[in-house]
Order: sequence, then C-alpha cells, then structure tokens
Amino acid sequence: MGFLVTTLIFVVVGIIASLCARICCNRGPSANLLHLTLIITATVCCWMMWAIVYLSQMNPLIVPILNESE
Amino acid sequence: MGERGRGCCPPMDLMRSEPMQLVQLIIPIESAHLAVSYLGDLGLIQFKDLNAEKSPFQRTYAIQIKRCGEMARKLRFFRDQMSKAGLPPAARSVTQDTSLDDLEVKLGDLEAELVEINANGEKLQRSYNELAEYKLVLHKAGEFFHSALSSAEAHQREQASNQTGEESLETPLLSEQETAIDSSKQVRLGFITGLVPRDKSMAFERILFRATRGNVFLKQATVDEPVIDPASGEKVEKNVFAVFFSGERAKNKILKICEAFGANRYSFHEDLGKQAQMITEVSGRLSELKTTIDAGLVHRGNLLQTIGEQFEQWNFLVRKEKAIYHTLNMLSIDVTKKCLVAEGWSPVFATKQIQDALHRATQDSNSQVDAIFQVLHTREMPPTYFRTNKFTSAYQEIVDAYGVAKYQEANPGVFTIVTFPFLFAVMFGDWGHGICLLLATSYFIIREKKLSSQKLGDIMDMTFGGRYVIMLMSLFSIYTGLIYNEFFSVPFELFAPSAYVCRDPACRDATTVGLIKARDTYPFGVDPAWHGSRSELPFLNSLKMKMSILLGVAQMNLGIIMSYFNAQFFKNSVNTWFQFIPQMIFLNSLFGYLSVLIIIKWCTGSKADLYHVMIYMFLSPTDELGENQLFAGQKMTQVEQSVDGEILFSPYSILIISDETLVLLLLALVSVPWMLLPKPFILKMQHNRHQGESYAPLPDTEESLQSGANNDSHGHEEFEFSEVFVHQLIHTIEFVLGAVSNTASYLRLWALSLAHSELSTVFYEKVLLLAWGYNNVIILIVGIIIFIFATVGVLLVMETLSAFLHALRLHWVEFQNKFYEGDGYKFYPFTFTLLDNEEE
Repeated sequence: MGFLVTTLIFVVVGIIASLCARICCNRGPSANLLHLTLIITATVCCWMMWAIVYLSQMNPLIVPILNESE
Repeated sequence: MGERGRGCCPPMDLMRSEPMQLVQLIIPIESAHLAVSYLGDLGLIQFKDLNAEKSPFQRTYAIQIKRCGEMARKLRFFRDQMSKAGLPPAARSVTQDTSLDDLEVKLGDLEAELVEINANGEKLQRSYNELAEYKLVLHKAGEFFHSALSSAEAHQREQASNQTGEESLETPLLSEQETAIDSSKQVRLGFITGLVPRDKSMAFERILFRATRGNVFLKQATVDEPVIDPASGEKVEKNVFAVFFSGERAKNKILKICEAFGANRYSFHEDLGKQAQMITEVSGRLSELKTTIDAGLVHRGNLLQTIGEQFEQWNFLVRKEKAIYHTLNMLSIDVTKKCLVAEGWSPVFATKQIQDALHRATQDSNSQVDAIFQVLHTREMPPTYFRTNKFTSAYQEIVDAYGVAKYQEANPGVFTIVTFPFLFAVMFGDWGHGICLLLATSYFIIREKKLSSQKLGDIMDMTFGGRYVIMLMSLFSIYTGLIYNEFFSVPFELFAPSAYVCRDPACRDATTVGLIKARDTYPFGVDPAWHGSRSELPFLNSLKMKMSILLGVAQMNLGIIMSYFNAQFFKNSVNTWFQFIPQMIFLNSLFGYLSVLIIIKWCTGSKADLYHVMIYMFLSPTDELGENQLFAGQKMTQVEQSVDGEILFSPYSILIISDETLVLLLLALVSVPWMLLPKPFILKMQHNRHQGESYAPLPDTEESLQSGANNDSHGHEEFEFSEVFVHQLIHTIEFVLGAVSNTASYLRLWALSLAHSELSTVFYEKVLLLAWGYNNVIILIVGIIIFIFATVGVLLVMETLSAFLHALRLHWVEFQNKFYEGDGYKFYPFTFTLLDNEEE
C-alpha cells in the first residue's frame, strides 16, 4: 500500500466519521459544525502522525542492525 | 451580533461566547421573591450588585438572611446529632411545599425538643455512670476491707497464740504496747475511697505521700474494663483506691488532691451489712436508670429519624431561601418602595425564557403589575459564557484554568478537545497502556450516574471530572501506540511482514552491516524490525525529533490562523495586515521551511544535514553554495558537509534553492519591522480621526459596543502613543523569540515519548523477561507482581501525569500565546443547581 492509497483511506474514514456524526447526533447547524471541526482535526492529527512515520521509513538512511547477543 | 451567521457557515458552538446582553428588570415588590426564585430555577441571569456601597446589615433583606442563617445553624445541629447517632440523612424525596415561616417554627420546636432530650439524657447518663463507678468502688473497696479484716484476724490470732506461748527472746519488746496504742488510735483513722484515672495513679500516689509526709496508707486495685467517666463521658481506664489517713488536716489535703487529679470519691461504710445493702440499692437504681436511658435513646432515635427523612429537603429549602434573599439584597429598591430594580447579564437566547419566568411570577403571586424587562446598552465588557455539556466542560476547564476568554474571542477549547489528547498520546504512545487507561476511564463513564451523586476524594474527584479527557487521551494513545508499534514495549507484526530482511540466507551481516529493506515500507507505523536493534535509538530519535517539529509547526500555524479569525470577527483589519500576515511569514519562512526540508529529505532519502542548513542560513546566507559545493553535491562522499539543497534536488535546481533561502531569510527579516512599526502609527491615526469626529452623529450603539470590546486603545481613554508602541514592541519581541523557543519547546514531545518507551522496555526486559529466565514459578510470580506495580505506578500514573502536564503546557503557552488574550471574566448565573454541592 502506497502513501496515496493510505491517505485516501484516512480521507474516507474521516468522511464516514463526519457523516456518522451528522446522522447520529444532529443537534442543529452550530453543533454539527463543531462536530465536523473535531472530526476533521482528529483525522488530520492521526493522518499527520501516520504520514510522518511512513515517510521517514520510505528511504531509510540507516537500517536495523541486530544486537550481537541475538 | 450582526456578523454572526452572515458568513458561509453558521456560528460554531463553543467557538465564541454566547452573545450576552445587559438587562434591567423592574419587579413589583410583592412578586419579587417569586420572580427571583423562578429566575434561579432558570439559571440564566447573573445579577449585578447594585448596593455595593451598603454593608450587609444595611440592606433591605438583612433580617431574612439572618433568619435563614439561624435556620441553617439549627440544621447543622441536627446534622451533627444525626451523624453522632449514625443516621445518614435520607436522599431528598419529593419536595413538598413548605413555607419558610412554617419551617422556621418547626425547626425551632424540633431543636428545643432535641436539646431537652439531650440534656435529660446527659443528666441520666451522668448519674448512671456515677452509680456504675460507685458500684465498682463498693466491690473493690469491699474486697480490700474483707482481705484486710481477714489478714488482721489472722494476725491477731497469731499474736494471741504468740502471747499465750512462752515469751521468747525474739518477741519484740514493744509489740504489746504497739498493739495497745493501735487499738486506742484505730478509731481516729479515716479513709476515702474513689476512682482515679490509671495514667494518673502513680503521680497521685506520690503526691499523696509527699503532701502528708508519708502519713497515709493508699491501697489501689485496677479495674479491668475501662470505666465511663461521668464528667467527660469518655471511657477511661481507672483504679479504685482507698486512702487511709489520720486527722482532719490530712483529710482536707487529700480531698484537694483528689479534686486536682479528677479522682471521684464515693462514700463507703465499714459495716459489712450496710455495704451489702448499698450494693443492692445501687444495682436496683442502675437497672432502673438503664431502662429510662434506653427509652430516652429510642425516643431520640425516632425523632432524629423523622428529621433525617426531611433533612435534605429542608436544607435545600433554607439554602435556596438564603440565596434568594441574598440576590434580592443586590437589587436596588425604588424610591416609591413599590418595586425592585435589577440589573444583570443574560445570554441573548434566554430573553424569552426570562420574560416567561417573570410573567409566571406575576401571575402566581397575584400581582397587579407585570414586571418590566428591558435591554440596556452599555460599553462594559460582558461576561464570557460557553454552553458546555458533560463532554466538553472538562476541556473548557483546561482552557479556563489559564484564563477566561475575552468576550466573543475565539475559544482555544474547540481545538483543545482533539489536540490536547493527541499531544498527550504522542508522549504516551503504547497501546497496551492505552487500553489500561481506557478500561479505567470506562469504569468512571459507565458508573457515571452513580458516581456523580456521591462525594469522592480529591484525587478521585479530579479523575472523575476529567473522565472524558482521559477517554480521548487513551483512545489516541492506543492509536499512537499502534503507530509506534509498542504494546507494553513489545512490537507486533500486525499490518504486514517487516520490510527488512537479512542480506543473505545465513544472516551473517545482520549484526555488523545490518538488515536490508527488501519489501515495501511497513504500511502502518514503525517497522517491528527496529525493536531491540542497535540502530533503534538513532532511528527513533531522529524520527521523533522531526515529528515534534512538524507537529509543533502545524499547531503554531493553527494558533496564528486563529488570530486571523479573531481579527476577522472583530473587523480589525490592522491586526490582519500587520500582525497575522507578518507572523505567518516569519514563522513559515524559518520553521515552515525547516518542515518542508524535513519532508523533502525523507522523500528523497537525502543525507543532507539539516542543522547545518538552518545554521548557515543565518551565518552566511549569501555565501553561495558556491562552485565547489555544487561540485561536492555530486560527489556523494562529501555529502555530509554539504549545505542546503544540493542533494535534495538535482544540481540544476541548486541555484533556485539557494535563492529561496535568501528570499526566505529576507522575508523573515522584513516581517519583524512589519510587525513592529505600522500598527502603532495606524492606531494613532485612527485615534486622531476619532477625535475629529467627536461632534459627528453618534455611531450605532451596537457598533460602539463592538469597537469598545475589540480594541481598548481607541476608546474614550487617553491615547498614549508611547505605551502602545512599547506594547507592540514587547509583542513583537515575544513573537520573534517565541518562534524559536516554542519550536524548541515542542521537542518535549520527543523527550517524553522516548522516556516512556525506554521505561517500559526496562520494566519488560529487566523484570518480566529476567524473572521468566529463572524457570521458577515463585520468581516468575514475584516478577509479574513487580512488573504490574511498576507499570501501574510509574507508567500509568506518573507518566500519565507528566505527559498531561507537558501537553497542558504546550497548549497554554505554545498554542494559546499565538492568539488568546484570555482576559475576560466568566458568566456566573444565579442558579439553584449548584446549591447542593456547596460547602458550608
């Protein structure tokens, strides 16, 4: 799975979550906007975390060197 | 407010304070009490104290407040009595309507009855205790006399037998005389019997001996069970004593000493017959008293029971009345003394509800005149009111602990709901620990209803209050734990096989050169192959350090963007152009650039030294990545020392990159005076224009309220240019220095997350695996127990606290100082719902 595919998965999960929030707890436009903001923020945070770790491992400068005892 | 909802989106909940208004209520005096009571039930208005200059005693309803205080005192007395009797007050049942006057009479009667019962009970108890002591004395002293008598008889018998026998040499010469003298003096020997506390008995004996110069005879006997002291009513260990003495003076002395030592004296007869008679008499009276006391106790218990049933209800009623009169005291009374005038803040949305409540009060109190509700216009800053629910309130409290938002300022609480637990989790990434936290907090959430009604300890209360914060924290920790691939520090190959394999089938180079990446990058999180390898720390440190910078730059950018929304909301274009834009440019031309470099480095796999790039960006920005550097860029051997983008891009784009560095540096340098200089001058100009307009028609009140709220420097106050300038100077310096130090401060994410993972590795390897290695069940069990305690105590409790504190700091300082003023004050509506929790 490449970077773009997983990113797309994050986007889809985010959209599904916001739709769920919209359908399950629809409490007026103001509250919906708050829920949407929260879900977007959470998705972006999670995506960033994943993307950072993924990118850093894409072209490794150093590789795992096993301990000699093992 | 005009601009609300005018934009593309509806106003967001929690983003800005509810619009507030200053309202004036004119309430006829006969319906005032009821109106205030209904408004308290509603809980959406904060009354202003209109009688601030009056002392509490000068106010209109001082007498009623005093009455409420007196009733509260009686209720406290009942509560003391109930807790002494071990009767907890019953939960509040259905509220019956009791008027305050009835309640006052009732409480008075009950208190009088209870006091009388108590007094009688105490008197009876005292005499019962005295009799019990007396009985003890009778028994014990009786034993003394009995044994003394028998030994004396034996002695006499012996003497008699001695006298009848031959007078030997050993017979004391004076013994006959002594006995003769004894018998003559025996009559005058007096004695006192009583009880003395055991811990004082030694001192008592010594003092007696010294005071009478040894001319006493003291006999003591310990009482096995503690005796209830009649005076104090407490259980004390005591000794029965009998003092024999001669002479009136010695008696007086002894009496005084007895008094000083708290020794109770009881009369005692030498005569055996009388003793027996006394004992039966005392026993009879004891049993009699016992039944009386028991009856009294039952009566008292019943009384307290009936009080306990209604106690909470009365207590609530009294507190409510007190709160109502307290509020009524804040209203100013009209000159005609026919109505009360109230002023207070209320949210705009509550207008209808308040009017309804006032109307109902008028009807219910059969008042002739309706209360008047009107909105006042003011330049005063309204209180800040966020409508929170049980989920958001804890997050809002995190923000409020730093400072309450200025009225209608953008609320950092909105983003804190997600970013706070997220940053916590970055430092606490371990999905095993996350699950433990989740279990603990779901206990609180599931039993929420039950726990919220009972009183918890300080720490428990705090944990319970933050249960939803902890829930999100644990969920994010599980996520970041999966990313870090740590379950109690153990990695799992959950998502794919590791990307790294041995270089050859024999795996000879694995410990020297290392593995080689043969498959696709591990799709989710850190590759399990890193765990336990020699290069694990260098890799994770580099990763986490860069991650901290990226996350930090992102969050700081979010903060600056929030300041843009604030400027937009308050229609303050000066702040947009001369604060928001240069700040964005400054931060991003330095640290945004760094973030981009980090990402490019990762994407291309370049070995460029980013420290070097950043440092030489300042030291010699023009110092060309000259010919040789360009050349060096092609030579992969010198790559380590090369500056800037050579290896990031192909050699042809190097010039562009180095130009970019220069441009970025120049932009950053320009944005500093841009931040500093124009704003004070523009404010001055605006002020001068306002001065010129002072005879122009008055601006719209709503607008003036806005402008008063958003910028205090151009109100009606004096405009001090130097002050504004210095303020701006401080602000600029703070931002410029802060950009560096705040970015560095985000490195705490790396440090804490490193500490957490290292600690959990140590506990896992040095405790659990070590114990496992012994092949011994007992050692294994001990190891498991130590592991559990270390995990819970150090990782789950202490690490949670420290990660929490660091996340708190990152929000309060690094995030909020970009936009948050936090100099508002909170809306405290007059409400009865909080009365229950109030401490007395």
